[in-house]
Amino acid sequence: MQDETLLDILKKRGVSRRAFLKFCAAATSLMALPPTMASAVAEALAKAKRPSVIWLSFQECTGCTESLTRSFSPTLESLIFDAISLDYHETLQAAAGTAAEAARETAMKENWGKYLLLVDGSVSTRGGGYYSTVAGKTNLETLKEAAAGAAAVVCIGTCSSFGGIPYAKPNPTGAVPVSDIVKDKPVIHVPGCPPIPAVITGVLVQYLTFGTIPDLDELGRPRSYYGDTIHDRCYRRPYYDQGKFAKSFDDEGARNGWCLFELGCKGPTTHNVCATTKWNQGTSFPIQSGHGCLGCSEPNFWDNGSFYQALSTPIDSVAAAAATAAVVGVAAGVGVGIANHHAKAKAKAEHETVTVNDLEK
Amino acid sequence: MSGLDGIGVKVIDAGGDGSARAVLREIETLLTVLVEKGEEGSIDLSSLPLTPEAYDLLEETLGEGEVTAEVSSLGVTRVHETGIPGVWWVTHYNEDDDVMAEFIEVTHCPEILLTPEDDVKDGLEALRARLFEENMNKSSVE
Repeated sequence: MQDETLLDILKKRGVSRRAFLKFCAAATSLMALPPTMASAVAEALAKAKRPSVIWLSFQECTGCTESLTRSFSPTLESLIFDAISLDYHETLQAAAGTAAEAARETAMKENWGKYLLLVDGSVSTRGGGYYSTVAGKTNLETLKEAAAGAAAVVCIGTCSSFGGIPYAKPNPTGAVPVSDIVKDKPVIHVPGCPPIPAVITGVLVQYLTFGTIPDLDELGRPRSYYGDTIHDRCYRRPYYDQGKFAKSFDDEGARNGWCLFELGCKGPTTHNVCATTKWNQGTSFPIQSGHGCLGCSEPNFWDNGSFYQALSTPIDSVAAAAATAAVVGVAAGVGVGIANHHAKAKAKAEHETVTVNDLEK
Repeated sequence: MSGLDGIGVKVIDAGGDGSARAVLREIETLLTVLVEKGEEGSIDLSSLPLTPEAYDLLEETLGEGEVTAEVSSLGVTRVHETGIPGVWWVTHYNEDDDVMAEFIEVTHCPEILLTPEDDVKDGLEALRARLFEENMNKSSVE
């Protein structure tokens, strides 16, 4: 099984050469590579070996798995899923209990140094990590053990990439992102809450195709998907440039589909492909549905102030971006912003915990 | 989806066909390369933030050409040459008729329409086998 190439597997499923070409064209598009790369992709995929994949779930909500298994294009995704050997995934595997753990250990032993380790969820470290355990082992222990034999680690979702919601203040479990624990292996971040399924698959296809990890940005995210901001590619961008903003969710501007910046849209500081790849079979994305971007693929998105506060509001890490945005001429929100800043500073001085209510005062 | 009609949302054109104009200029560049150097090119439409208006502008400007083809393989692929010879519109659908990928290909003929070389060899073998079988049947009747 391990020696079979992807083309062999596809042929067995009755996929013709033309269908393979089509598959490669779609895969190239999925990887956000230039279309001229399709023939190189075809050549590489024809020779690609079936990799062993171990998926570990830690402090997470299974939303990332939901996103992937309900993804947009059954043909392409299922073919890719058939092409990998998913040896361990608590939610998807048939085995349970001791048998499941045995499957993981066997896969690890047989493919030591070669398997791809996928992780969703953050890792609890407080008190040695006993806040989250599977089969009597802490997530911390399991991660260290599994990462030791992995070729690379792919963090699926914001929790494993940046800590996500378990990491949000006051972080009762001492949650940390995977990269705080795994230091000696390539770690790829595929953040999003959840990530777009096509992006998860795209990263896997890239590994399957070229056996290499993609070009990453300074936060460890593949540049092909996280290179541009939502704002850069937003179809409402012309309204921003024209200074046309919705001021509330039911005003004339909102009905006209104007820019949601003043209603707290985090598009300008959020790197992801929602605006082009979209969600639900390419149907829509939050801004198209009339709600601002929450910034879920960025670190600490949960602690960056209210989702409904304009970015021009100076709060921690977004302050730099907000400064630029403010120059563009968004005056509203600035007054609120100053008040907000005071609330935050006061809260910080008194205690670490800041609630949304504090910020909105 | 029809329930949405009851909600008072109207989306006003932002005059956002800018990306369509950029795509058209890129097609012009690719076509120049095809004419001058014989090199093919293509544009991945699914990666661009095209509004319905931008799509309309693209379709209107390129127009309809002489060739339309459909490939049934892993779902349907619809191919047509636009009114600009050498500029093809290729849309790959999956088995559920969702768009998997969409390209503008600037070429003499999109690759998906050509018979793969190995398929031609397989075809020759298949034809020979059929003729052999027919001969056998004939001789057994005689």
